Amino acid sequence: MATTAQITITSPDLMPGSALNITANTTLTKAGVTADLDQKESAVIKLVSGTEYRLGPLATEMAGDAHDIASYLYVHNKTTEDATYYVDWGIHETMIGRLYAGDWMFIPWNASDDGAEIEIEPQGGTNIIEYCLFNSDVILPTAAS
Amino acid sequence: MATINATTTISSDIASYPVTISGEMTMTKSANPSVGLEETTGLRTKKFTTTTAAVIVEEDELADNTAHKVYIRNASASRANFFYVAYNSGAAAAATAETIGKLYGGDWMLFPYNGSTDITVASSTSTETQMLEYMVFADGIVAAKG
Repeated sequence: MATTAQITITSPDLMPGSALNITANTTLTKAGVTADLDQKESAVIKLVSGTEYRLGPLATEMAGDAHDIASYLYVHNKTTEDATYYVDWGIHETMIGRLYAGDWMFIPWNASDDGAEIEIEPQGGTNIIEYCLFNSDVILPTAAS
Repeated sequence: MATINATTTISSDIASYPVTISGEMTMTKSANPSVGLEETTGLRTKKFTTTTAAVIVEEDELADNTAHKVYIRNASASRANFFYVAYNSGAAAAATAETIGKLYGGDWMLFPYNGSTDITVASSTSTETQMLEYMVFADGIVAAKG
C-alpha cells in the first residue's frame, strides 16, 4: 500500500538564461516512520461566496486529539466561470493565501492543536472545490447511545 | 511576463479502487488572470543544524493579498526527521497556532500565500543536518526594508 505525490514546476523564461525545471517525488507515510498511510477522504463540493467551510475532519478527530500527526491535503479550485474567483484558505481562523480559479495546492497538515482546522472561504461567487485528504489517524466521534 | 507551469500527480492504492489525482496550473497574477507571474525570490537551498526557528519568507518583501505561491521541499532523506512549517512571525513548533504541518524527509509542499505574515520553519533535530529547498513565485515584490 503506497501513496505517492509528484510535482513538476517548469518555466522557460522566469529566470532568463536559466530555465526552471523542478521535479520532486515523495512517498507519503505515517508520522516519523516508513509505514504507508491507510485512510483517505475526498470530495468535490460547490461553495457559495462569503461563507467559511471546514475541509476534512475536526482537529480533535485527528489521532483522537493527540495532534501533531502526519496527513496531507490536496485542494484544487475547479472553478472555470470566472478566473477572478478565489477561495481564501487558512488554519485556525488565520487566512494564509488565495487559491484562485484553476489553482491547486498540496500541503502537510498536522492538526497542531484543538482549533487547527483547515478552513476555506470562497470569494467572488460560487467556487467548485476538489479536495483529498490522506492520513492514518482520523478517529470518528463515538455515536451517542 | 513569464510562463510558470506546475503539475502534480498523486497516486494511491489506499482504496479498493486506484486513486490518481492530476493537477495542472499556470501561475498568474491576481489582478489579471491572463498574465503570468514574472518575479521570484529565487530557488534557495539552506542547511539546518539546529532546531532554532528561522524565517524563510519575509512578508514585508512581498505585496499583500496577491497570488504568491510558495514551494518548499525537505531535501533530506530521513522519514524520522522533519521541518515544522508555520505561517507565523514567531517560532515554528508543534503548538504554534498557525503551524501548517510537518514536512518529513523527501516531502514537498506548494501553497498560495497572501504575503501578510512570515513563513517560518524549524528543524526537528539538532543531531542530524537537514536540507531545505524553497522558492517564492511572487505576485509583487517590494524592496526589502532595512
